Amino acid sequence: MEDIVLELKNVNHWFGSGAKQNNVLYDLNLKIRAGQIVSLIGPSGCGKSVLLRAIVGTHPPREGHIIVHASDNVQSAIMKHKPGRDVGIVYQQYSLFPFLTAVQNVAFGLMLDQTNIPFRAFRPFKWRHLRKQHLAEAATLLERLKLKNAIHKYPSEMSGGMCQRVAIAQALIMKPMILLLDEPFGALDEATRTELQDMLLTLYAENNQTIQAGQRPPYTIIIVTHELNEAIRVGDRVIGLSMNWNWRKDHAIYPGTTIVYDKRAPIFLPEQEIDYAMLKKQKEEISHAVFDASFQQDRDEFRQFWSENKTGRSQDA
Amino acid sequence: MLGQPLKKILRVLIIFLSLSFIIGGYTFLSHRQHQKNPKDKTIPTWSQLKNGVKKICEKNRRSKKRWIVEDSKASAERLFWGLLWGIIGAIVIGLAIGCFPFVEAAFAPILAILAKLPPTAALALFFVMLGTGRNMYIGIILVGILPVLAQSIFLSIKDIPRELVYKAITLGASKMELVWNVIVRQILPQMINAVRLQIGPALVYLIAAEYACAHIGFGYRLRLQARLVNMDVVYPYLVILIVFGFLMDWLLKAIQIKLCKWYHKEGK
Repeated sequence: MEDIVLELKNVNHWFGSGAKQNNVLYDLNLKIRAGQIVSLIGPSGCGKSVLLRAIVGTHPPREGHIIVHASDNVQSAIMKHKPGRDVGIVYQQYSLFPFLTAVQNVAFGLMLDQTNIPFRAFRPFKWRHLRKQHLAEAATLLERLKLKNAIHKYPSEMSGGMCQRVAIAQALIMKPMILLLDEPFGALDEATRTELQDMLLTLYAENNQTIQAGQRPPYTIIIVTHELNEAIRVGDRVIGLSMNWNWRKDHAIYPGTTIVYDKRAPIFLPEQEIDYAMLKKQKEEISHAVFDASFQQDRDEFRQFWSENKTGRSQDA
Repeated sequence: MLGQPLKKILRVLIIFLSLSFIIGGYTFLSHRQHQKNPKDKTIPTWSQLKNGVKKICEKNRRSKKRWIVEDSKASAERLFWGLLWGIIGAIVIGLAIGCFPFVEAAFAPILAILAKLPPTAALALFFVMLGTGRNMYIGIILVGILPVLAQSIFLSIKDIPRELVYKAITLGASKMELVWNVIVRQILPQMINAVRLQIGPALVYLIAAEYACAHIGFGYRLRLQARLVNMDVVYPYLVILIVFGFLMDWLLKAIQIKLCKWYHKEGK
């Protein structure tokens, strides 16, 4: 059982047409297993955000398919061409609704998912009862994420780190099949960033416990980041998008960014000591393969994730 | 100094001083004018103003009605209906053009053109189309405030970060929920601010229309009394208009504070 949760098949994307066509993404093929935390890295302007928008469904690709698998059953596959509950997202900015408190922000998705406007308007007693449950559930999750004292604060009254934590809770409470984090910690200071990275690693540990219990892990996360240390530390798999590959071999015109790096990354849980030597080695490799403009490699040279790992789980090492 | 807020007591003192300066200045001007011409009515003395207020408040010998009551009733009714329809229309149109691109393509250019039309300049058009009854006053206020109000609502919607909309969709929001639970709530403070800013223009359109063709109302009374140079009546009427505008603004701000706590916390 492969337990694939996200699949990209021959995804191509471009803007404009004719002479003004700007190719952005080229032939992206990818399979992500349930429970993975995948770091997506790449130089500025390489199309990471375009890919993320395509996965969310707000800007579907021009060619190819993005498929979300609710389970191993083929019939449960969802072809992504519009946003939906199956994929959650946390942005670097504007992640929270400013008119709602922290607890209301987290409970907002539950309200949208479990009720509708006529229900809330015409069945006020049932709605009030359900609302209490939603708020209680949201408060419990916020407490788990160490935000007990901030549950009744508005986003403008919280720090950047607190807001991002609430935004993650807001996405997690909906139990999306995939959670996308678009440079979520980019605007935060080092200490807060580490704290939030630890929070993600805690989710990873929960995934492992669930796998050991023989169930599907609940959290599959794709995190876009500029920070290589963060990419390697938080992700158990690093995927690099880059425009630096030897496209001239088969193409007359630049076809777009493609995946040039796909390898496992070491995971260091919060209580584990970080092996900086290991981090350094992979960091240098990524810098070379993804960010070095003078290095025009074959795009398969560093794509070894599936050949190295039969199932894609961390225990395969 | 720039950026340093004043202490409350100092602020009150400054307001008191500026008001005293205006009242003192008026008293001085009126006194000087009456030394030159004891029968002057352009800058009435305080006792003349008192008589003017009395005239406004007591029953008129001919009509047996109090000016203040009948004028306030007529003007308030016209303003209420004009504002109500203007605000409802602006909300519906502003939301529709802000949320649905087809409606935007159809109505946004028309609104942009209408927003440039000064309704007072098109008074004759309103007479012809709506007569000289209540509908004419409602029409002029509506045409005056609706395009601007709808445009501000439209622009507020355009200012909403797209990420918030996408986020709501990923949380399961339907189109109606997106409009009602996200967009309306997000732009509500700006919507109230836009209404606050339109109270003044609405009063201008009403007074102008009443000035031109009413037989009752603030505009009518101001025109009549100004022609007779009865400034002892005109000034109190102007003060009533200022107080009314101020009260409306205060009420809307109170509503905004009550409904949009987050908006007021953002500035702190």
